[in-house]
Amino acid sequence: IDTIRGGGKLNKKRFASSPAVVRPSSGGVHGQRSAVFSREQARQRALYPRTEKIEVVLHGPGLHGTLLIMNKGVSTPHSCARHLTEWHVKSSALALVDGEPWPLHKPLIQSCSLSLLSFKDKDPSLVNQAYWRSCAALLGQVLEDAFKDEYSVELLGIPELPVTSGAFCCDFVLDPQLDSWNPSEESMCSLIRGAQQLIHQDLPWESLEVTPSVALEVFSHSRCKQEEVEEKAAKSNNGTVVLYRCGDHVLLSGGPLVARTGLCSQYEVTAIHRLGEGAWGLHRRAQGLSLPFQLEAHHTVWRKLRSRATKLVSEDFYWLHFKFLKGQCVESCIQILTPLFSCLSSPTKKRLGYY
Amino acid sequence: MRLTLQMLISHGRVARKMGLGPESRLNMLRNILTGLVKHERIETTLGRADEVRFYAEKLIDYAKKGDTDTKAMKMANFWLTEKDLIPKLFKVLAPRFEAQPKGYTRMARIPNRENLDKAAMAVLEYKGNPFPPLQPAKRENELTLINQLLKGYREEQAQQAKTQKD
Repeated sequence: IDTIRGGGKLNKKRFASSPAVVRPSSGGVHGQRSAVFSREQARQRALYPRTEKIEVVLHGPGLHGTLLIMNKGVSTPHSCARHLTEWHVKSSALALVDGEPWPLHKPLIQSCSLSLLSFKDKDPSLVNQAYWRSCAALLGQVLEDAFKDEYSVELLGIPELPVTSGAFCCDFVLDPQLDSWNPSEESMCSLIRGAQQLIHQDLPWESLEVTPSVALEVFSHSRCKQEEVEEKAAKSNNGTVVLYRCGDHVLLSGGPLVARTGLCSQYEVTAIHRLGEGAWGLHRRAQGLSLPFQLEAHHTVWRKLRSRATKLVSEDFYWLHFKFLKGQCVESCIQILTPLFSCLSSPTKKRLGYY
Repeated sequence: MRLTLQMLISHGRVARKMGLGPESRLNMLRNILTGLVKHERIETTLGRADEVRFYAEKLIDYAKKGDTDTKAMKMANFWLTEKDLIPKLFKVLAPRFEAQPKGYTRMARIPNRENLDKAAMAVLEYKGNPFPPLQPAKRENELTLINQLLKGYREEQAQQAKTQKD
């Protein structure tokens, strides 16, 4: 328990006294990242000094063809929802701008067609995936905050898992001093409490599209994050990287995140597994389960889903499962892969480039 | 006869009075039943629909005996005023309900009539009719987050059961 603290970050940059660790405290790191993010956000807002109007056409049940006149570079889909009703504001998790998934707090830059997506639509698959990613991002944030300043926490990334896998996960590496540490019941409870506090604060996830140089500056203290930035810049269409900020933490993500932390209601950190030695140290995987406030589960159902979420989930099996589901070769896949999976875990994971 | 108080109070009396008298009531029911067999879904007042329901189901029971049965043919002849509906009854409706022992009709209430009488209305239909359903079955969305999680859970349970069997 002495490795985990309840809350209260230090915002001043403070260098640890031991010679082995010469880096600022976690609080200072987050403060610096947030400052760079705010600076870039202000710079991007200043690109539109005069208020120009854009026309936004709304699509949705009961809204077909509604025209809204909004401000360019300032109005977000969230502000469009505020023109409608309180229900639209509370329930919309993601927006679809000209067919492209768009975070709810990202400013609109041209006349477009907008539809607000919620968890109870006909086809909420995009929203589900975004929700899974956001919960994993929240988990990463909780883990970063949970440990004392003298222990470093490196978040490695959020593997893209389909929702049917039963749990979202976040890979991370702890300080080498904590190699023998195993989470106890109380540590898991305090992690859950930390997550619930963030959910209660209802912080929005702000997004920003930046050039790789700015992103590298944001993550100047973390080598593995910089590698991730380079990977994402190489994969993206126009060479930009999207950063998300929640409260004080700035993070990268594989896709759009939902609007705010208050959308989650039931949230539990179910397990922390060891994945073995990798490029950055002892890799661990933290898994969790969450449901949004409109789709709460009865405690009997929740218990069953939670017991499933404590088992280790892995990308390989579920990614292929997900892919073959469309080709309907699921049965044969399961029969072939389950015995092979346990043998092939480490080399196949290396192939994915996380280690 | 003696005019007693019991004649005016109808507590516990289940038989409905319709039209001018018992003969008028049967004629009205005959007309409504003919309309039901012709169109397979009709809209009338609540009381009339409830009365016709019993006769509609009994008619199908008679029709199931087949058109060679004299009693069945007499019944069909009496109840259906339009005689070209008799072949439809024996050849279309009776085979449709072969597998079911009872429950050939469905009644659903609809908003009251707009006229001055504001009569309570109902829709009466034979099951298996070609029209869209009166009350479409509400199916839960398979793609919501919680249903997807439960789907994954069920698949894993099935997979485990399979591996345990082998």
